[in-house]
Amino acid sequence: MIEIKNVTKEFQNETAIDYKDMVFENSKSYMLLGASGCGKSTLLNLIAGIMAPTTGSIVIDGKRMEELSQRERDKFRIEKIGYIFQDFKLIEEMSVIDNINILNIEGIDTQGAPKLLEELGILDKKNAKIKHLSGGQKQRVAIVRALVKSPEIILADEPTGNLNFAIGEQVIKELVKASQGKTLIAVTHDERLSKYFDFVIDMNEITSGKRDVVSEEGTKKC
Amino acid sequence: MLKFALKNMAIKRVQIILVVLSIVISAGIGVLAFNVSNQVSDGIVSNAQYYSLIIGPSGSQTQLVMNTMYFSEEPLGTMPYSVVANLEMDSRVNQVVPFAMADSYNGYGVVGTTSAYLDGKTIKEGALFDDKQELEAVIGYNVARYNGLNVGDTIYTSHSAIEGDTHEQGIKVVGILNESHSSFDNIVFTQLKTLWHMHEHEGEEAHSHEICAILVKAKNPGVALQIINEYDGKHIEGDNDKDVTLQAIEPMNAVRGILKDADNTKYIVFVLCAVILIMNVMIISIITLLNMYHSSKEITLMRLIGISMRKINMLYIIQNGIIGIVSTLLAFGVSRLCLLFMNDYVSQMGVVLNMGKVYPLELVILLGVFVISILPTTIWTLVMSKRNAQE
Repeated sequence: MIEIKNVTKEFQNETAIDYKDMVFENSKSYMLLGASGCGKSTLLNLIAGIMAPTTGSIVIDGKRMEELSQRERDKFRIEKIGYIFQDFKLIEEMSVIDNINILNIEGIDTQGAPKLLEELGILDKKNAKIKHLSGGQKQRVAIVRALVKSPEIILADEPTGNLNFAIGEQVIKELVKASQGKTLIAVTHDERLSKYFDFVIDMNEITSGKRDVVSEEGTKKC
Repeated sequence: MLKFALKNMAIKRVQIILVVLSIVISAGIGVLAFNVSNQVSDGIVSNAQYYSLIIGPSGSQTQLVMNTMYFSEEPLGTMPYSVVANLEMDSRVNQVVPFAMADSYNGYGVVGTTSAYLDGKTIKEGALFDDKQELEAVIGYNVARYNGLNVGDTIYTSHSAIEGDTHEQGIKVVGILNESHSSFDNIVFTQLKTLWHMHEHEGEEAHSHEICAILVKAKNPGVALQIINEYDGKHIEGDNDKDVTLQAIEPMNAVRGILKDADNTKYIVFVLCAVILIMNVMIISIITLLNMYHSSKEITLMRLIGISMRKINMLYIIQNGIIGIVSTLLAFGVSRLCLLFMNDYVSQMGVVLNMGKVYPLELVILLGVFVISILPTTIWTLVMSKRNAQE
């Protein structure tokens, strides 16, 4: 369970985001909707431990993230969280499999990668360089890298942002399917994809994200 | 980790090859210059230490040493053989080796001496000449090789390179020296009597027996100095009642003088090496700057997916370590290869370069270059990896 408690995040340009308390249940999928700048990606980064909140707490399975050291947060992220970045965060000159095997540096077992690549239909691209792949294929590689370590929490920041609707929908379906039994929090602008998630949190309804606010309890899917 | 480091290096192979080349050139030249200059100095000093003193006609000390030990200068003149006889009776002396240089064989110098002069030289074929005989020769490796000579052949020496100036009397080759990569490879050695014989039998003006120099091994350095003091500046009666003034020198002193001049050249080489080294640092720094963008993206990416700073540092240290080790080993290998090619050149100075000779300072130079070469990248990596992932 992920709890957001009285969290605010201030940036150097003096903009700030205040988050209302919220809870993400284990094994559920959440879709975060909202305009740019309202704090969706920041929330994912706070949960992942990439950023620290200015005030408040993020509690994951009873652990207060702000109380962990940088090394502990790194360890938590590499072991428990699969993060799918909007811009993929892949090394363009390396092959698909090498981009996944980068996790071996931290001792993560990536033997399950071929199976996941097959499930996502890109096993034949295993040895292809990332720079030779389409946006959809790159997104699938990023998904495999996030899932191969069997994380408890999957965070996906605009996983369909670079894709057209048809491919984006396919990617979301695959992502949700592969995330069965895990907590999935995905940020997207596209309301049409909401039907694939257990919960939708509309962050637009709250504020622009610049001081005073953001977020409310998760709205049950319509 | 190593596997990933190698794969990551393969991506940046162009930059890495540039860095490696830069290190190999600068470190290789530095080490080579240091090694050669020291081996030449050591070799010349070692040769000079073999004899305690050299006695010859007055004139340039350098010329006397270069002529008697490296055959590279003309003799200063002649002196009577009677000096040898006197020294042989001197109880302070262990060995007296007379030396005369005259005539040539197809451009190769002819030295008249005793077999003691060839002590320490190994024979490839045949044997040393018999000091009691005459008209026998032991020839250097190159003399035999380039003139197609074998033991038992007869050679005809000449007064000069002018055709028709050849002596009628032949000299029999009794031995061929092993290749020593030194000036000994290019000389014909024969008995003193042979040289005297040639000149007496061909209607030349009658000479008493003369030589160009005497190489002496004294019983100890103390008596060597005594003998030097006794003979240096001494006037003796020479050929045709002409007085000859002698000089007696300690070869080591003369060689030190030569090396002092050579040191100036050595410093120029070292300055050039330092310039190359500075250029090396600049090139590597520029390449590092060019890599910064690529590396920072890569490091940020790894931090974002949760790879620890410690592991990232280790990854780059392994990469830089591999680059540094490969480069310095290559630099060392290239310097040894160059030594091989330089051997023929320095052999003219009577020095044989030892491929296996490694001076401690060479290792210091290589270590220094290694550290300088990997330092910019390592510092950059450490700085980058310590930044928070979100930056």
